[in-house]
Amino acid sequence: MDKRQTMLNDFDHLQDQASDILTQLAALKVQVTTLSEENAELTVENQHLRELLGEDNGSDEAKRLSKSLQNLERLYEAGFHVCREFYGQRREEHDSCAFCLELIYGERERASKAS
Amino acid sequence: MKFTVNRQSFIKKLNDVSRAISTKTTIPILTGLKLVVTDNEITFTGSDTDISIETTLRANDDNAELTVEEPGNIVLPARFFSEIVKRLPEATMTIAVKEGFQANITSGAAAFTINGLDANNYPHLPEIESNDEVTLAGDVFRDIINTTVIAVSNQESRPILTGVHFTLAGDEFTAVATDSHRLSQRKVTLPNPASETHDVIIPGKSLVELSRMIGEEQQDVKMRLAENQVLFMLGDTAFYSRLLEGNYPDTSRLIPSESETTMEISAPALLAAIERASLLSHESRNNVVKLTLSDTATDATATIFGNSPDVGAVEENLSTLALDGNDLEISFNPDYLKDALRSFGQSQIKLSFTSALRPFTLVPSEDGENFIQLITPVRTF
Ligand SMILES: [Zn+2]
Repeated sequence: MDKRQTMLNDFDHLQDQASDILTQLAALKVQVTTLSEENAELTVENQHLRELLGEDNGSDEAKRLSKSLQNLERLYEAGFHVCREFYGQRREEHDSCAFCLELIYGERERASKAS
Repeated sequence: MKFTVNRQSFIKKLNDVSRAISTKTTIPILTGLKLVVTDNEITFTGSDTDISIETTLRANDDNAELTVEEPGNIVLPARFFSEIVKRLPEATMTIAVKEGFQANITSGAAAFTINGLDANNYPHLPEIESNDEVTLAGDVFRDIINTTVIAVSNQESRPILTGVHFTLAGDEFTAVATDSHRLSQRKVTLPNPASETHDVIIPGKSLVELSRMIGEEQQDVKMRLAENQVLFMLGDTAFYSRLLEGNYPDTSRLIPSESETTMEISAPALLAAIERASLLSHESRNNVVKLTLSDTATDATATIFGNSPDVGAVEENLSTLALDGNDLEISFNPDYLKDALRSFGQSQIKLSFTSALRPFTLVPSEDGENFIQLITPVRTF
């Protein structure tokens, strides 16, 4: 067989493979984005549930609260709303949310004053 | 229907209702202007369903030169009709609808015939029955709108926040708006207390149109609230707006009650400095300026910083009137501060800070109770 023809066939084969990989990569990227958003939402939800539990137990509240607020703060810094108003939505970059800040820092102030 | 009228008087009324007429509407008849002619007056109506405006031109208005030969009503295509009326040659014009819905418009040697629609098919304006009517001086009302509407959200994904939240309880009338990044709140004490409490959210867009209609010479604006509509009366003109449905978030908790650092400064001086600093921050990917406040035994300084990695940096010491409390370094979007500062005009203001992470407030030095602007900082470390 002509050597050049073999090479061209190889190229075609490689090109097909490359385009397959590209399609798979794009699909994976979409999945990762969805999963990370889902993960963030679940973390927020988990946090809210923990808070509710914490309120019901009423024991060791200040300590528990400060830990959960730390988590909320981390989520907020990671770019998500933790406030009731925009619960779980992505924050725009460099834009802060007064509702989130009140939830995170406003309550910490009250908690630290109370203890 | 047939009447003759002074063109300038007619155009003035036409312009007023045209604010409510949109070419982009799903209801074709609403692209039209509705005219209802009785023996001694013409009523103009325009609506885009969000807002509706109705105004009246009376025969006993000196400049109207209105003579009605035959009463009647018609809906005319607003855009064409208005262009035609504005270009007619003489000071007066005559409009007649003889048969069907065809209108003849004549002025001097010019004669137009345009096709209209049956006014009976025009939607009815809401009827507003309410015991409570708030009356405010036109300039006060315009000021309330203009100082709060700057803080409404322009994102339709947060519909509630695209409106201004008005509450009426006793003699206290409060307007507040927030887009979650900043907040503006005005309170006015009414001469007569309301019999019921009201809580409504009026779309920011409606308020902007309304504020444009409140002329310099406007004396009073009357506001009447109903279940899902609000009506504003400006002399002979009625302005209706739909209300936004839903509960406005509790904003009172957003306003800090205590502060650690306070600064007094003239609003225009701070505005000028922020405008200079934002020249560079606008060139940066994150539009942020930094303010440092330091109050030592010998010296109190407030410095504003702005920088852009590509262009350069700016630093300016502010001439404050007073500066007290803990040292602080806080960063924020200068555009929010600029909007807020413009609403204070020439007055002296007091800024109160709690920490680098909590919102700070601006109030007039003379009256800290009735007007407050709040700005949320941006974390930069
Ligand atoms: Zn938020």
